[in-house]
Amino acid sequence: MAGEMPAKAAARASVKMVIDGQPHEFPAGLTILEACQRVGSKVPFFCWHPGLSAPAVCRQCLVEIKGFPKPIPSCYTPVADKMEVITNSPKVLDVRRQMLEFTLLNHPIDCPICDKAGECLLQKHYFDWDARLARNDGSKVRKAKVVDVGRHIVLDQERCILCSRCIRVCNEVARQPDLVMAFRGDRQLLTTAPGRRLDNPYSLNTVDVCPVGALTAKDFRFSMRAWEIWATPSVCPGCATGCNIEIHAARNVIRRLIPRLNPAVNKYWMCDEGRLSYKPVHENRLAAPIVAGAPTSWDAALAEAARLLAQARDKSPSTLGVVVSAQMTNEEIFAFSRLATEQLRTSKIYLAGASEGWCDDVLVSADKNPNTTGAKLIVGPSLRTAADLKQDREAGVVTALLVVGGAADSCDSLQTLVVVASHQGPPVAAAQVALPLAMWAEVDGSFTNRQAKVQRLHAAIAPAGQSRPGWEIAARLGRALGAAWAYADAKQVFSETCDKITLLSGADWGTAEMPVQLRFANSRG
Amino acid sequence: MDDSSQTARRVVMGFGDAANLPDDDELPTESMPLNMGPSHPAMHGTVRMVLEVEGEKIRSADVQIGFLHRCFEKEAENATWTQIFPYTDRLNYVSPMLCNVGYALAVEKLLDIDRKIPARAQFIRVIVGEISRITDHLTCLAASAMELAAFTVFFYLMKAREWLWELLEEVSGARLTHSYVRIGGVVADLTDDFCPKLRDVLRRCRAAIADADKLLTGNRIFRDRMDGIAIITRDDAIGWGLTGPVGRSAGLDYDVRKDHPYLVYDRFDFDVPVGSKGDNFDRYAVRLEEMRQSMRILEQAMDLLPAGPVLINDARVALPPKREVYNTIESMIAHFKLIMDGIVVPPGEIYSFTEGGNGELGFYIVSDGTGQPWKCRVRPPCFAHTAVLNKVLPGLFIADVVPTFGMINMIGGECDR
Repeated sequence: MAGEMPAKAAARASVKMVIDGQPHEFPAGLTILEACQRVGSKVPFFCWHPGLSAPAVCRQCLVEIKGFPKPIPSCYTPVADKMEVITNSPKVLDVRRQMLEFTLLNHPIDCPICDKAGECLLQKHYFDWDARLARNDGSKVRKAKVVDVGRHIVLDQERCILCSRCIRVCNEVARQPDLVMAFRGDRQLLTTAPGRRLDNPYSLNTVDVCPVGALTAKDFRFSMRAWEIWATPSVCPGCATGCNIEIHAARNVIRRLIPRLNPAVNKYWMCDEGRLSYKPVHENRLAAPIVAGAPTSWDAALAEAARLLAQARDKSPSTLGVVVSAQMTNEEIFAFSRLATEQLRTSKIYLAGASEGWCDDVLVSADKNPNTTGAKLIVGPSLRTAADLKQDREAGVVTALLVVGGAADSCDSLQTLVVVASHQGPPVAAAQVALPLAMWAEVDGSFTNRQAKVQRLHAAIAPAGQSRPGWEIAARLGRALGAAWAYADAKQVFSETCDKITLLSGADWGTAEMPVQLRFANSRG
Repeated sequence: MDDSSQTARRVVMGFGDAANLPDDDELPTESMPLNMGPSHPAMHGTVRMVLEVEGEKIRSADVQIGFLHRCFEKEAENATWTQIFPYTDRLNYVSPMLCNVGYALAVEKLLDIDRKIPARAQFIRVIVGEISRITDHLTCLAASAMELAAFTVFFYLMKAREWLWELLEEVSGARLTHSYVRIGGVVADLTDDFCPKLRDVLRRCRAAIADADKLLTGNRIFRDRMDGIAIITRDDAIGWGLTGPVGRSAGLDYDVRKDHPYLVYDRFDFDVPVGSKGDNFDRYAVRLEEMRQSMRILEQAMDLLPAGPVLINDARVALPPKREVYNTIESMIAHFKLIMDGIVVPPGEIYSFTEGGNGELGFYIVSDGTGQPWKCRVRPPCFAHTAVLNKVLPGLFIADVVPTFGMINMIGGECDR
């Protein structure tokens, strides 16, 4: 790898070569395939993956090199000075077609029932590079259709084209050799290593990298066709790492999360736990504002919440506390901290959130909240912890609470409790007023991850029920308490946050990304 | 007749005759707005005409279109290239085959396969297209004759149209909205006894058209309503972009089939009738003759019809045979990609035009390399024809609106899209 070379030598070493008749210059160490990709010469491949090593097993990326008697796998061969590469000669096209014919020889006729159909690399390459009718009408080699290989994954051995990407994900990303190849020739098949199961914490990445529908996620299997899915760029809320993801939603329901390339954060990967972090978005949601246990309108609930909070504040602002959650976006935390200081006149802002969990040195953080860094930066050193809250409650210093997002552990023995929550639960049941809060997948906003990178979320689905984004609820509560400020959208809150919080200044809201329908997007399959 | 009844008749005749009266005898007239349509039996395909009349005479006309707007272009942007065929059926719905063919040719040019369409498919496209042209003109003439009270002619011509539509139904499965053409050819071959049937139908059509010709062309009432009414000059035809029978009746010798031959039109011997006066009668006469010329083309096409496939043999364009799709993975993938993603048309733009029922039917399409058009604009011939109505109607009588509009032959589906 280039990184192992002395940096100066790597920078100096470059090769001059010709691709498809055009002279080019590349840094040494690049493979021919990467060089072709840089200059737009199309070379198909199955086994190569930019985040994995190159075994050159699929032979789909063969190119012609002048002076070489046989076609050469471009994914494996480094560029060299004076090399002349041809990617589109009749010979190369013929070899490409022949390789596809071999790959398709024993491939089952599964497209109509295959999860990968529509985003399948085999479909794409056949259509782009072969597109001829079958010449063989012999029977196909049959293998096992449903092999339960792991907690999250089912394997169809017939569909497997033996590219070994999944094996390398296990070996190189999760560093657990769970998968192996067995047998030879057209009997060769993918299987679990003796005594192992595909249960490593990064196992679902094998489904992403599988170029066909051999490995399928139990969670997603048969639930939605790929071309009905709309992909929205976002950030995983599972932990402080903030893996970049795409939310795949169809008909206003999230169907799966898949990782999105960010070389500085998660590369091509994410953990299995993070992938399932969308589940709560569709479970047990608080759908409408609630006052004294009964659903009511937003206006009535806001008025009642404002009355209760004003009452507590007027009695003594120091007995009033505001709990924000590290699960909320920067914008929501900023708006509620503004409400706390300006309208409620209290400096008692506590940070709640999910409790710590396991971690590893790949991606998973022990802090299971996506925005702890953001909350600390926005509220500043005066931010109090959950332990502080417990102490203040036990000492009777705080008797009124506005709890936003996270659950305060126990909510009894409070004189005033207003809850802004996304889910049903004990805090909502104990609250005098509960307001429904939209979740991360339903709002525009940003999280600040453990590296202090401010990363953008896009709304992928409509908020559940009557729930609204937190910054909007804060502004409306503020209005009901006599505030003069209001926000039109999350972007406005974001720019104000960046103006006021020195450590966030210069953060970029970026451009609004529209969801892309996987059909016609031409980005996959 | 005594003097008083003479005066009364003059008033009924309106402005023109009243102008000859001495000033103090002239009856005071006041211009009055008159709405024709959008729901009016003679306003085929829903169009609204706001006329300013003085007595019976039209002072100004404001022809308002758009009542049949169906977002053709926007719908097309959200459909695969193949899914657009049913929309083209509904452009000019009395000659859907011509719209099918025009659209298919545009996409084929962008795909650069227009020279690879099998010869038989090209001949079949000519055959179904010319049948459609005849049904188009039959509808136009039959409806206009009926509106001038020649109901017999209507029945004669509609009967002939039905024979032709039965044949198109036989090959396509649908009487009106055929969706028979595909990118790369046509969806199915002609039925076995199609040609003998067509020859028989043409024989009977010739007789029906001859009957209509005899009933109308020399008919004094018909001639009085048509001759010299709504004259369009050759310069106007060029200036307003009039094509097809309307342009040709004004003396503009332009027929896409002759001037820019497509398909196999350069292999047929046929004439392009051209009018001299550009009035309603010329438009009628040109259409009558064009039907006869179309029949000549049909007979030649049947004689020359080659054997062979009717759809291009290219899995990236045409769906593979079902037997292959169900039994081989290769064809299954091709079928899947063509249905789900659509034909991948290389990025680019093209304006392709053919001789539609009403004139130059153009498709301007832009592809961004995906399975759907980025833009699919239609140049409907009768959009230009309808525009010229504002110019030709003033000065005519209210009674002239109906035959003039009939001879312009605005088809709502095509004009409003």
